[in-house]
Amino acid sequence: MTLRIDHVTKSFGATRAVDDVSLEIEAGEIVGLVGENGAGKTTLMRIVAAELAADAGTINVAPPPSAARTAGGGGATSIGFVHQHFMLVNDFTIAENLALATGALPREAEGIIAGSGIELRGVTRRARDLSVGEKSKLELIKAIARKPEVLILDEPTSVLTPYESDELFRVMRNIASEGTAVVFISHKVREVIEVATRVVVMRRGRVVVESAKMTAEELAAAMVDTPRGDFAPVTETRTGEIVAIVGVAGNGQRELADTYLREHPRARLGFIPEDRTRDGLVAEMSIAENVALVGDGRRTPQLIEQYSIRAKGPDQLAGALSGGNQQKVILARELDRAPELIVAAEPTRGLDIEATRFVHEQLRRAANRGAKIVLITSDLDEAFALADAIQVIYRGKLSERMTPGEASSRVAALMAGVA
Amino acid sequence: MKRALAAVAVSIALLWIVGIASGHADLLRVLVTGSIGSTFAIEGTLLKSVPLLLTGLAVVIAFRAGVWNIGGEGQFIAGALAAFVAAPLGTIVAIVASILAGALWASIASLMRAWRNAPEVLTTILLNFIGIELLGYCVNGPLQEASGKYPQSEAVAASLPQLGEIHAGVALALIAAIASWFLIYRTKEGLRLRATGFNPSAAHYAGINVNAQIARGMAISGGVAGLAGGIELLGVTHRLFERFAAGYGYSGIAVALLAQLHPLATIGAAAFFGALVTGAGELQRAANVSSSVATLGQAVVILVLILFGSMRSRTS
Amino acid sequence: MIELAIIATVPLLLAVEGELIVQRAGMINLGIEGMMLTAAMTTVLFGFFGGLAGALLIAVLFGVFAIRLRADQIVTGTAINLFALGVTGFAYREWNDRLAGAVPHVDSSAIAVAAWIVIPIALALMLWRTRFGLRLRACGENPEAVRASGYSVTMLRWSALIIEALLVGTAGAELARTGFAENMSAGRGYIALSIVIFGRWKVKGVLLGSALFGAAAVLQYALQAASRGVQFHLLLAVPYVVTLLILCGIAGRVRAPEALGK
Repeated sequence: MTLRIDHVTKSFGATRAVDDVSLEIEAGEIVGLVGENGAGKTTLMRIVAAELAADAGTINVAPPPSAARTAGGGGATSIGFVHQHFMLVNDFTIAENLALATGALPREAEGIIAGSGIELRGVTRRARDLSVGEKSKLELIKAIARKPEVLILDEPTSVLTPYESDELFRVMRNIASEGTAVVFISHKVREVIEVATRVVVMRRGRVVVESAKMTAEELAAAMVDTPRGDFAPVTETRTGEIVAIVGVAGNGQRELADTYLREHPRARLGFIPEDRTRDGLVAEMSIAENVALVGDGRRTPQLIEQYSIRAKGPDQLAGALSGGNQQKVILARELDRAPELIVAAEPTRGLDIEATRFVHEQLRRAANRGAKIVLITSDLDEAFALADAIQVIYRGKLSERMTPGEASSRVAALMAGVA
Repeated sequence: MKRALAAVAVSIALLWIVGIASGHADLLRVLVTGSIGSTFAIEGTLLKSVPLLLTGLAVVIAFRAGVWNIGGEGQFIAGALAAFVAAPLGTIVAIVASILAGALWASIASLMRAWRNAPEVLTTILLNFIGIELLGYCVNGPLQEASGKYPQSEAVAASLPQLGEIHAGVALALIAAIASWFLIYRTKEGLRLRATGFNPSAAHYAGINVNAQIARGMAISGGVAGLAGGIELLGVTHRLFERFAAGYGYSGIAVALLAQLHPLATIGAAAFFGALVTGAGELQRAANVSSSVATLGQAVVILVLILFGSMRSRTS
Repeated sequence: MIELAIIATVPLLLAVEGELIVQRAGMINLGIEGMMLTAAMTTVLFGFFGGLAGALLIAVLFGVFAIRLRADQIVTGTAINLFALGVTGFAYREWNDRLAGAVPHVDSSAIAVAAWIVIPIALALMLWRTRFGLRLRACGENPEAVRASGYSVTMLRWSALIIEALLVGTAGAELARTGFAENMSAGRGYIALSIVIFGRWKVKGVLLGSALFGAAAVLQYALQAASRGVQFHLLLAVPYVVTLLILCGIAGRVRAPEALGK
């Protein structure tokens, strides 16, 4: 059996998430699909699992799948996908969750678990009382029990202890040897090297490297676009500074940003949240009202001009603006108060080149005027272009401060946790 | 606005059809004359609209903060009880007491939400029942009239100034509507309230204490509902009795929806429903057609508004 | 007197049982008040099965709005109550003679036995021992997980509504045994909601709750008759206060179905 991905492309608006990817995966392989956040790994796999439709290209599983997913549930499914976020019923026991997913009876749960090769005791425990690792195992058992031909695991070890990870790898090898094709999405270099029979590296929606033999360092370097040269100019009379915190998404950046929010009075802090639609602006209110939430709404006309915000006026609803202009509004209202400390999380995410340049310029100016800027970003280009100092965040811990020069050779390894 | 008018039109059309189908061809005509066809009718409509405006306003305010206040019944009663007890100290004190009592009653639900995550949808309904029993206890017991014949209180010790048949509560209600509009749309507090209602996450990141904001919104909402109770007591009934609240709290939901959650529009919405109720009363007197047609009219308005997508579930 | 209490509480109990299923499936149906009222009226007009039909009609109305159109369940439920109140009130005055008389139908004690014994057992078995019940409960906790397992949340919720309609229809029929009167459900629907919470969404709990509320109601009449004064109102308030406390988790941990109302 083979899983064939043929010239698949998928865009979300202007962003090419998956760019003409072709891949063949055989039964019995364990493919490690590796890349930074935003590289397109999860999107590609979601297309394979038919959760998303591709814009172009085809997915083929040959020989044809044994049974499609029917409304009755529990039938043999050819593609199993274990997601990163749990889809468990908290109030149900392990047995009941399994029963729901497989159509079996709760009392058959222990048998199902035994058949999976994964250890999970106490089937009468409720899902909410399980540890994160156990929940992860339960999701895995759910997927395996349906005997898929292709099993996709999205960052399965992110919440497991080393012991549990080892157990997982054993299971993966077992399943693979029984004829399933396993795809293991991860950004953890060491683990991928350990268990994968083949490694596929994605970057910006494309497959950049495919190999059966790579060292950890080679893999880490391939994952990451390390910039060469091009550092921030040693600044003239900068009284403030920009510290870039770089890292793969999901290593504690949110918590770090929230810490700043908690420890400083909001009025003295400039805060640019990572998710501008959910946490930044209130789409149903006008630009002026959004500005007024944090600063002086009356200055909105000046701000619109100053920041070249393309809008019909201060009374236009914030939700009607483009992403770039929304970000400008947030930037404007935060910087206008000239705070001493600014936390900017992924400030140029989803912005085009022109808007990105604008944001960088504003941040530079603020630093020149004396602000300390904490720039949390997963975009290394950005970090190296702006920062006076760089730190890497990995599993919630910050590395030491480095100059851009020092960082350029070390950052890839630090981000992958290999250093 | 269009949706509201469409809902009203459908409601009227349905009532007309019901009238014809049941052999009361003049149903609609009697509704109209009974509600605005004479000075007496207009006065009745005005008086009936006042509590509806205020309970509707209460629902609107809470909704702007992102919460369901279905506790209007209980807050209405709390306000009336407080007004009764405070009446010996004067009308103004009684009115203030009604507002405070309503705010307090609503805050019980807020506290439970903040303290133990108890959903207001459920706690406010329960508080309604408790309020109703409290009222029943009072008018059968400590507050019962001296003769002890009926389950009602003595005449209240104060009352609202009147101009003919119309009491000052009409002015108070209008002021409340305008004040609410001003608060919600022209003040920083209102801005924060709306932000919290639209997007609690963004509000949090803008530095707003979401829980405290919601609690304040609920308190104001409860205060307005309490005011409704106080006005009804001091201006219309002058006594407390069982079934004093008689569905005003729930009707407030209909008013709020017809007003499309806009504070000033509650004036028009309340006027419509007030007219409906008054006209239906006349219908019952003159033509022996159940005044329940007013309730039917209310229901149709809500259903049509839902149909037009006015009320997608806030939590979905 | 106990016998009286047992039979008098039947409509309330049936409504509670119906609402339990529906809430377990994740919906709040405030409209049971209207459902019961409508069923009472249609029973008098068309017999026992007419009563069931009336309740089903209301259930369909609720389902179309709350499930199909995804409208807010609270608003929908309120609108339905008002609708039923309006229609039945109007009809009562129009057809007073037809509606006021007694209507014998299914034997009262048979229904009582069903309500107090048969249905609770069936309900408990269904919800906790069948695949259908498992999926239903999952709808009330995490509809996403249900969909991911390949089942239709829509179909499951409709099923719950239909079962509720049959139960509440019977309740209405039982109420209308001696004829229809305006607004005769008298808030039982809203009380049923409280009892479901009081019973912590479990069969044993709602049985107990119904018994308590029912006893309190009967006691109320007794006290009122003996004019033992005013305490009965306070007595009636106690169950609600207790329910409030339960919601605050005071009397042990309480978990509403996670997806309730969503």
